[in-house]
Amino acid sequence: MSETKHPSFPGVPFSGDAVNEITRRDFLNEITLGALGIAGLGSVAVTYQFFSPNVLFEPPTTFRAGNPDLYPIHSVTFLQDQQVYIVRMPEGFYAVSAVCTHLGCVTEWKPDADMIACPCHGSKFKADGTKIEGPAPRPLPHFAISVTPDGELLVDKLQNIKPAQVLKV
Amino acid sequence: MEKNKIETGFSSDAKKEPRRVVFVAKKTSAKVVGDPGPQLMTYPHLLIREAIAFQLLVIVMVLVALFWDAPLEQLANPLLTPNPAKAPWYFLGLQELLHFFPPFVAGILIPTLVVIALVVIPYFNVNVEGKAIWSRPAQNLRIVLVTVFLLLAFLAVFYAWTIFLPTALVAALLLFSYTARAGEKGSFQVLARKPVSWWVMTWFIAVALCLTVVGTFF
Amino acid sequence: MASTLHSALQNLRDRKVWKSIFRRGPANTNRTRSLAVFGNLFLHWLPVKVREKSLRVRASYYLGSVSFILFIVLFVTGILLMFYYHPAAPHAYRDMKDLQFVVSNGVFLRNLHRLAAHLMVFAVFWHMFHVFYRGGYKPPHEFNWVVGVVLLLVTLLLSYTGYLLPWDQLAFWAVTVGTNIISAMPFVGDKIRFLLLGGNIVGENALLRFYVLHVVILPLVAFLLIGIHFWRVQKDGGLTVKPKDDDGKE
Repeated sequence: MSETKHPSFPGVPFSGDAVNEITRRDFLNEITLGALGIAGLGSVAVTYQFFSPNVLFEPPTTFRAGNPDLYPIHSVTFLQDQQVYIVRMPEGFYAVSAVCTHLGCVTEWKPDADMIACPCHGSKFKADGTKIEGPAPRPLPHFAISVTPDGELLVDKLQNIKPAQVLKV
Repeated sequence: MEKNKIETGFSSDAKKEPRRVVFVAKKTSAKVVGDPGPQLMTYPHLLIREAIAFQLLVIVMVLVALFWDAPLEQLANPLLTPNPAKAPWYFLGLQELLHFFPPFVAGILIPTLVVIALVVIPYFNVNVEGKAIWSRPAQNLRIVLVTVFLLLAFLAVFYAWTIFLPTALVAALLLFSYTARAGEKGSFQVLARKPVSWWVMTWFIAVALCLTVVGTFF
Repeated sequence: MASTLHSALQNLRDRKVWKSIFRRGPANTNRTRSLAVFGNLFLHWLPVKVREKSLRVRASYYLGSVSFILFIVLFVTGILLMFYYHPAAPHAYRDMKDLQFVVSNGVFLRNLHRLAAHLMVFAVFWHMFHVFYRGGYKPPHEFNWVVGVVLLLVTLLLSYTGYLLPWDQLAFWAVTVGTNIISAMPFVGDKIRFLLLGGNIVGENALLRFYVLHVVILPLVAFLLIGIHFWRVQKDGGLTVKPKDDDGKE
């Protein structure tokens, strides 16, 4: 290829394709931008880690709900401290979350109407958590419920189970 | 070459190098903006008005703050949701939307779309030119009717009557203005000259207002 | 009396010390009045002259000024309230009670802060609608309109983060519901909520995070954007004056 004029610096001898040639300025620009980009990504990652707490002081998610005999058959008992309904039906026990699946308000058991109602956006559920009406996207989840060796009910709020699974005592 | 001349890369000779005097974009005329009218010195004319605004506002606020106490409810209790649990008033419209649509649509999708719509307003020529919606009556009437019908049907499907009502009202005004577009001077005639952006914003404000009022009082 | 005060002020303005501070003598000529604007750090972003029409109340209802004045009131009362506030649960609530019953003028300052906050949201909304209906978003004001929309969002965020700080039932549940909306976002919602709250529930960490956002980060952002917003009003040629304003109806 014949010698041509340098695209950025006229007078500087220059050979090659003016389009594909990388000048020193281009090269340094790219290196600098690349370094800045890597540093920026690194800072974002470090900040993200910093903002995610590793230890949380939040209430325990497993709790004992007392002796099964405390709950009469055909009853819905609201355990306010745990935000859980312990429901006892003839077929057995189940634990239903009291936190509305819509936006996290705590629901209330209405014995007169035989349903669970949310005060925030008007969702209504049956005692087994299925939705009657309202904006809630899902039924209230059922939590894993078991009996401890000393005969107490044990509810694990991190473990969701299918509504069909009922604890028989 | 003169010895004092400094090479700048730009010619400073206007006769040789043309300079941009006015930028004539496609479709816009190069009409010079009319006489801006008389001007006043910022100091004191603007500053005195700002000072008066400041004083009036502070006086009124102090008087109200003396006699109207900010509410303070019980200590926060994660175990007990008050009934009804309400957001601040400017979010009550949003809270009303949550009755009708799932949280993703009402809480994320609609607000995001509204913000995007607000941001892009000045970047669309149709908004900048501001041509009357009935400048092309036959064609636009068809578009308007289809849009209004689809919108109202959609809202009815979701039983969103508090949105349906203001939408229907604004649509009715819009259609009234169509019938009055060629008439004599009158309030509907004024409406007939409004552009599309005016109608969309008015619709948006009507819906927001209705939802906020319903959320506040019901 | 008035004339004595007047002449005393006149006298003061001719002093060396006055001139050393303000870089000018009395502002009694157009030249010194111009100097009063562009020679002053706090005013230099204003034009030296303004159109008479843009000063009329109907041109703007001074809504931009009103929003800014409310911001200043919030800034001052907010800093004062910070002297008696601990961003910790449930201490924050006790501080609210203290402000109400123990601290001199505490309840007055809290009332003023809250009132100004609500008014500012209202004023900013109205400002936006008014600018829209006057066509104030049209070129060359496009970018300033966008800055304004962002400022509206910052105002709402400022108000919302402040809403949690009293740590009462109202605050707690408004924020619980609000942050649960975020977790409805697909894929990243739960992660964002976790970062915002510093946990899975609205608790101590959430209160501290909202506090830092409310008193440091968002006010800084707002201040910066307000600066750009004001500066661009002048750079883009002042307020939009409608041709309709010519017909002498005003």
